Amino acid sequence: MMTDPVLKKMDVAIGTLKLKNPVMTASGTFGYGEEYAPYVDLNRLGAVVVKGLSLEPRAGNPPPRIMETPCGMLNAVGLQNIGVKAFIREKLPFFRDYDVAVIANIFGESVEEYGSVAALLSRADGVHALEVNISCPNVKRGGVAFGTNPDMAAEVTRTVKASTDLPVIVKLTPNVTDIAGIAASVEAAGADALSLINTLTGMSVDIERRVPHLRNVTGGLSGPAIRPIALRMVWQVVRRVSIPVIGLGGIMTARDALEFLIVGARAVQVGTAQFVNPRACMDVLAGIETYLERHRIGDIHDVIGALKIEGEP
Amino acid sequence: MPEKKALLAGRVVSNREIVQGHLVMTIRLPRAFGEPLPGQFVMLRPKERGALLLGRPFSVYDFQPGRRSVTLGILYRVAGEGTRALSLRRRGDDVEILGPLGRPFDVSRHSGNIVLVAGGIGIAPIRFLLEHLRKNHAEARSRISLYAGAKTASALIGLEALEPFCKDVHVCTDDCSMGHHGLVTEPLEKNLGSFPADDTTVYACGPVGMIRELAGLLRDHPVPCQVSLEERMACGVGACLGCAVAVRGPDGGRQYRRVCREGPVFDIREILWDEGTGEA
Repeated sequence: MMTDPVLKKMDVAIGTLKLKNPVMTASGTFGYGEEYAPYVDLNRLGAVVVKGLSLEPRAGNPPPRIMETPCGMLNAVGLQNIGVKAFIREKLPFFRDYDVAVIANIFGESVEEYGSVAALLSRADGVHALEVNISCPNVKRGGVAFGTNPDMAAEVTRTVKASTDLPVIVKLTPNVTDIAGIAASVEAAGADALSLINTLTGMSVDIERRVPHLRNVTGGLSGPAIRPIALRMVWQVVRRVSIPVIGLGGIMTARDALEFLIVGARAVQVGTAQFVNPRACMDVLAGIETYLERHRIGDIHDVIGALKIEGEP
Repeated sequence: MPEKKALLAGRVVSNREIVQGHLVMTIRLPRAFGEPLPGQFVMLRPKERGALLLGRPFSVYDFQPGRRSVTLGILYRVAGEGTRALSLRRRGDDVEILGPLGRPFDVSRHSGNIVLVAGGIGIAPIRFLLEHLRKNHAEARSRISLYAGAKTASALIGLEALEPFCKDVHVCTDDCSMGHHGLVTEPLEKNLGSFPADDTTVYACGPVGMIRELAGLLRDHPVPCQVSLEERMACGVGACLGCAVAVRGPDGGRQYRRVCREGPVFDIREILWDEGTGEA
């Protein structure tokens, strides 16, 4: 049954970035958009977050790069990407035919590289926001150091902010002791929004051959296995900061997405679910609309942060 | 807006163990599946998924079009938890399928001499390719020879169905239970010199060791060879970058291609072999 879109207000704002609805795709799970275009009407998405970009192309890690684990998967792709210049030249024009917000995920091996990538994307036509990956746990010299230290996370944030006029979303790693502390530091450095969580570092061993399942030994765990942790962290961060928070981590269905919205996420990202069902983000969106209808809620904002905790105002 | 593709619901018609640990699953699917080409694959998983999320990639082994539905056959070996879960499906169980996916074997260039090389479960796409060649190139009457290897005679699946269409068949087993004892590349090496280089195409699928041997053999013989590769995969459509295979880039350096998207069929000479591990 088609639901009437006029009845419900689904649009949300991430800083100055206006989205049709709160459902976006997570970086690294949706390619550069074109891979899923045969399956998904991109125009219906809140935003597409493209695969992480660095200043120069990166070959990535040798295989095996992935391994399925209970209710999740490990990946050690190694931030393979075509580089920001090739992205602007070859991939970005694809989105001209679509009416969808494009968020470019960026990373660097130095503060300066973050700044350079941000500056290049700001000059490009068709990028609506930046998501700064300070958290990818796969690359030894990469973002891991930035995302686990409040001062370095703040420094990257300041540099990117100084290099662009686009809204800046900083994507946080869960591989820290106090994620709310990092969040506060990034907020103070000028971030317009936060997204969390990135993958949790994990490992899996082939006991017959006594070797790691991944050539890189460790990898990032994603999928429903990490969802309760992600939800807890989003809840903690939302209570600490006043900028919008985008929730992600193991969202497979609308039910899962609503959990994140209810604890206070302004929007959500669907990631690993896409690998299971290429139309997962569409199903999540449709399910949220059905939920609003069932509860006779006219505006998604009446769900965001609606968590009731006994004894709390 | 053109109709969007989606995960399709399939129903298991049969799921038969041919020999120990090797099964053929036959699945009824809606016609929206389309028509697979030899070398293409599907992502397949049980509908009841439990703790398992991801589909598993399988080459098309058999395909029968129909007026109201189509029938897909896959040949698989129980190698891990995903294939174990599939092996427990029974007639009437529901599965989910994405496909057909990937770049097929290129059969556009006619060859008078077609050489098929299959190792173990690698017979699956080779069997479907042979059927395609037989149907579509019958008038061309290419000379088709098959080199098939397996651990043991019983694992040479579907050989009897293929033999009538091949001018010559060379069988190898690791345990001497049938044919030549040793690698399938050994009889091939003997005959390689007699293949007309400008009128021969080799199509191959098999374990990484066989592909590496074959790549070594063909280094000195300018015979075109297309090989279907296997790698762990999450999405099957080019997004997860999990199924990487190393190739020589334009600058001679190491680059990765996606088995699901640029493959699974590659020119064997593109593959870059790791000196240390011998892996692609």
